[in-house]
Amino acid sequence: MWTLEQRQRLSLENQILIGEGFDQFQVYRDATYDSYSASGYATANSGRRYYLFIPIPTGYPYQRPPLYVTDPNPLLMYDGRAVSSVGVSHYMHTLTPHGTAGWPQICHWRDARWHSGIVLQKVFLKGLLWIEAYEQHLATGRDIADFLRTMAETA
Amino acid sequence: MTTRDPQQQQMIREAMKAIAERKPGRTKLVYDKTKRTIVAVAEGTQAPRALNITADDADMFAVVTLSSQWMRDRWSDIQHGALAVTLSKWDGGDALTQADLGVQPSCDRETGTILLEGQAKEPAAGSIEIVLARGTGPADAATFVAPDGSGYRASCWREADGGREAIDVSFVDVQPELATRRSGILETNILRDRTVLLVGLGTGGAHVAIELAKCGVGHLILIDRDRLSAGNVVRHPGGISQVGRYKVNVLRDLILEKNPEADVSIHPVAVDYNNEDAIRALVARADVVVCGTDNRPSKLLVNKLCVEAGVTAIYGGAFRRAYGGQVLRVRPKQSPCHQCFISAMPAEATDVEVSTESDADAIAYSDRPVAVEPGLSLDVLPIANLVAKLALLELLAGEASSLNILQKDFDAPWYLWLNRPEPGTQYASLPPLSESSDEMTIHRWYGVYLEREPECSVCGDFLAALASHYGVDLASMDDLPAPPRKDS
Repeated sequence: MWTLEQRQRLSLENQILIGEGFDQFQVYRDATYDSYSASGYATANSGRRYYLFIPIPTGYPYQRPPLYVTDPNPLLMYDGRAVSSVGVSHYMHTLTPHGTAGWPQICHWRDARWHSGIVLQKVFLKGLLWIEAYEQHLATGRDIADFLRTMAETA
Repeated sequence: MTTRDPQQQQMIREAMKAIAERKPGRTKLVYDKTKRTIVAVAEGTQAPRALNITADDADMFAVVTLSSQWMRDRWSDIQHGALAVTLSKWDGGDALTQADLGVQPSCDRETGTILLEGQAKEPAAGSIEIVLARGTGPADAATFVAPDGSGYRASCWREADGGREAIDVSFVDVQPELATRRSGILETNILRDRTVLLVGLGTGGAHVAIELAKCGVGHLILIDRDRLSAGNVVRHPGGISQVGRYKVNVLRDLILEKNPEADVSIHPVAVDYNNEDAIRALVARADVVVCGTDNRPSKLLVNKLCVEAGVTAIYGGAFRRAYGGQVLRVRPKQSPCHQCFISAMPAEATDVEVSTESDADAIAYSDRPVAVEPGLSLDVLPIANLVAKLALLELLAGEASSLNILQKDFDAPWYLWLNRPEPGTQYASLPPLSESSDEMTIHRWYGVYLEREPECSVCGDFLAALASHYGVDLASMDDLPAPPRKDS
């Protein structure tokens, strides 16, 4: 199912994570299902930890990988509702939650902006930014969009 | 025509023919005040108040149109007995067109009978009778040339309201007549064997498909998962009667109406990774791929598959509200691919029209909806026209075609078109078209030369460049670890 190019790319992406100081994250291969994922704990400035999880889609890198927060579960907002309850939200920078587990999906790049030149290290970087903005949301009740600007298109 | 008197009808026909040919005839037309209608009288009859009937009035007779090829294929049947033919009845019977001439016949039908002069009408039936008489005069539209080369002149009568009405007959040789307007400009014999895959049949893609069919492209593969909506109709070639049908079905019928011999295959599926293998197989069959989708994932999937297969792809799209548009032609490994284009011109790559609900949904948030934007068909068609022309040039490249004189004009990979100086864009202050000699204006095509991105993640050596950048040896990377256990 996976091409040599994809396998090489994912191995290389693992090296990039390590080389760029993102070694709290790692790319994994599940030999049982011949599936790939990337995950790890992100530690916010507050010291709280959040588990970020990327199931690698079979069309990667041409297909956009989703980025979920799987721990804490559920991830709660300032008002006590689950983040996943807002669905695709501009104000919370979230996309469709995971279909079965209900994990909130962080909006890193939308499908309309994703391209195969983007690497997982940049996806995790956006995840870290979202986590910090989320903590500010918890502290103030303001929307995550108040702390994160929507990125202009860049190559 | 209201008269049922065969003699009067014949006189009117002769008079009308004389008018049409602008020759004196044996009869003329006058207005009979007592009957409150036009009647035919002998030329010498005194008629001081005769109306001036012009040649434009000569089209008052209904016409039956039959396929010559269909007749030739059934000539032996006609020789051995009357032959039934089903006719589409248009405009209250003003036009009666052989129903199987195209794929969109009228719902209103009449049955006709074709027979040789002197032949018994049985067993065929119907209200229309077409009689073929061996002709000796000059051939015209009513002359049928049999397989043995002999000519037969057709007369036609319709039974209605207890009377018989004369109807004109016209024989058409569909394919030769379709080719007449193309020959000398397009090499139909080459295009007949060519295959174009069209991905996305919105306003632009549908127009391209129909234009290519009109040009004689023989094989068209259509992909689009959407159905025609009422909102589409003001832009799309499909009409309000077609609302609810898959666009691929609508386009198949429109194509076959223009090119009955075209081989059209339809695929009402989404252009996404769930259908990657199926789309890859279709790309492999194509000489050229035309991509008219408005979302990036589908364009990048098509780009990837076309680069893999070495098939030229042409991407056309309108900017928001169709203030302009762009066309990108990708010759794999020779010119920039769509991914190279995104890297080189990210703003242009993102400026797309939101013309359908699905386009809007793809970029909307539940708390910030996106509306379908207005955009005029006439602003999309210039873009579609260039896409169709570039597709033809690709199909005819390397062949002895007079159209290839355009190859040097269209040698850039990317083309820009502006319909208006849209406020809020970098084109808001363009000089008026009439005042500009060498400055950029609306309504001109601009070819832009872009370079391939050597480290492109689709058509370049991305992995090697990335490995080099991070000092990683691709050949000696460790195996990836197994995922952590859930309880760890």
